[in-house]
Amino acid sequence: MANPLNEARIAAGTTLESAEWPEPPVGQRRRRIALATIVLIAVVWSVTGLDVSFDRLLSAPGDAWDIFKRMFPPDFEGEIDRGVLGKVLESVYIAWIGTLIAATISFPLAFLAANNVAPVWIRLPMRQLFNAIRAVPELIVAVILLGVTGLGPWAGALAIGLHSVGTLGKLATEAIESVDEGPTEAVQACGGRWISGMRWGVLPEVLPIVISYWLFRFEINVRVSAVLGMIGAGGVGSELVQQLNFRNFEAVGAVLIITVVVVIVIDTISASVRRRIIQGGTARDDGSREAEALADLTGIRTG
Amino acid sequence: MTDLAAPTAGAEWPTRPRPRIRSFVIFAALVVFTIYAGREVGFTLSTSWEIWTNPLWEKFWPVPWDWVLTRENVFDPLIETFQIAIVSTIIGCSLAMPISFAMSRLTAPNRPTYYVSKSVMNVVRAVPDLFWAKLLVTAIGIGAFAGAWALSIFSLAVMVKLFSETIDGADPRPLEAAQAAGGRHTPSVRMGVLPTVFPAYVAYALYVFELNIRASIVLGLVGAGGVGRVVEAQRQFFRFDRILGILIIIFCVVFVIEQISVALRRRLV
Repeated sequence: MANPLNEARIAAGTTLESAEWPEPPVGQRRRRIALATIVLIAVVWSVTGLDVSFDRLLSAPGDAWDIFKRMFPPDFEGEIDRGVLGKVLESVYIAWIGTLIAATISFPLAFLAANNVAPVWIRLPMRQLFNAIRAVPELIVAVILLGVTGLGPWAGALAIGLHSVGTLGKLATEAIESVDEGPTEAVQACGGRWISGMRWGVLPEVLPIVISYWLFRFEINVRVSAVLGMIGAGGVGSELVQQLNFRNFEAVGAVLIITVVVVIVIDTISASVRRRIIQGGTARDDGSREAEALADLTGIRTG
Repeated sequence: MTDLAAPTAGAEWPTRPRPRIRSFVIFAALVVFTIYAGREVGFTLSTSWEIWTNPLWEKFWPVPWDWVLTRENVFDPLIETFQIAIVSTIIGCSLAMPISFAMSRLTAPNRPTYYVSKSVMNVVRAVPDLFWAKLLVTAIGIGAFAGAWALSIFSLAVMVKLFSETIDGADPRPLEAAQAAGGRHTPSVRMGVLPTVFPAYVAYALYVFELNIRASIVLGLVGAGGVGRVVEAQRQFFRFDRILGILIIIFCVVFVIEQISVALRRRLV
């Protein structure tokens, strides 16, 4: 019955009662205090810089709520007469074309960035290129392109396409790097050329993952293209801005609701397609979206 | 076993699975959709080359560095951008902590809280970030204040999604132990779940901060303060050379911040 740990304690002259809790390591505590101080200083500095008066802080939720109330009842009929459905669809088209542009550009480049395919002097510049592209937001790309192409959906699609090359390229690279070497070796052992090794050894294994990234990016791009309309790149954003400027809040409510419904529907369809592609028909959702979202926006795979 | 070992002379190749009709139909539908979408968007191969040879590109050069590298033109708005990002990250992430616990199946106090918080947050997340900004600019006036509000809402939505899924995946046994020992709901969650998910929380907060830095740059395009305001103003004047200068500065700063944040997160996770 004797607990070996207790016996050891008794042997060492300490009992459970007299044993003290271990002290938390000093370094950890100091680091915590330092971190908290840094965060606190940052917050104070930011709040003072934002020039927030106290009464403004208190009145803001009321003002926001007031606008929200005025959106009801949403004016669906008037908005549909004004062609809001066509504009939402235009946003979807922009996102689709943009994603396809990014997919066609990024997939070949991803092979050049993978460490099991390309030599180091191609690989490193390629990776830095992906990182650099990712750092420029779509809207900024669109601002530049709109200046050159003039207002219209084409600038939006191109902006989305160029920006998405960064993330899609990075994720495809990682997929290519993690393939099993066996099939490629088998092709080479049979005397196949390099290109056959890629076609029959790498592509079949990589394609499902890469396509699911494309779809995931498409989901994000639907939101992005809705936003792009706000600066004149076509789609539903322009309608929202216009109605807000006219202070026509019932119409704004309708536009918002339609957009949200379309976004959620597309998310749901795309998520179920991705699940089928990756796991087959019967698999359940395991919350893998979290890992994908993280990988998409930061380029770090968690598992 | 003998079958496998036997020489394959005379053995037939396994029949190759024939593509199903359904696959063809789906593929054809996608092609049609793409062509239609491309036409709607105005995609033609010739325009995609003409863009790069457009004489307007010359307006981007040379960058007027003496205009760009001044406090009032670029650096003050850039600082405002970071202030927006910091404030909204803190507000969004601190609100996200309790809501995420309410939104996870493991730690929700009861069923109604779980479903209500989950569906509200799904709707909030489906509204794009700049829509929030534009709405709040209309509601509470142009400026960084509205921008900070909008970004707080958006970071709350993102954070809640990521963190509640982490809580879903947390080990339920410490929580069960705490409950079995007679703990009430909040203390058992505090002692049983929080310690295991806290590193993920910090990592996600850093990630949300990165998102916010990028988002706060473009907020100004809809009048919500920060460096985007300058970009928008110069766009109205067609001063693309100035815009390019601002963008180069933004790009460098964002790149540095991201590298720091990524390094911090690597150490945490």
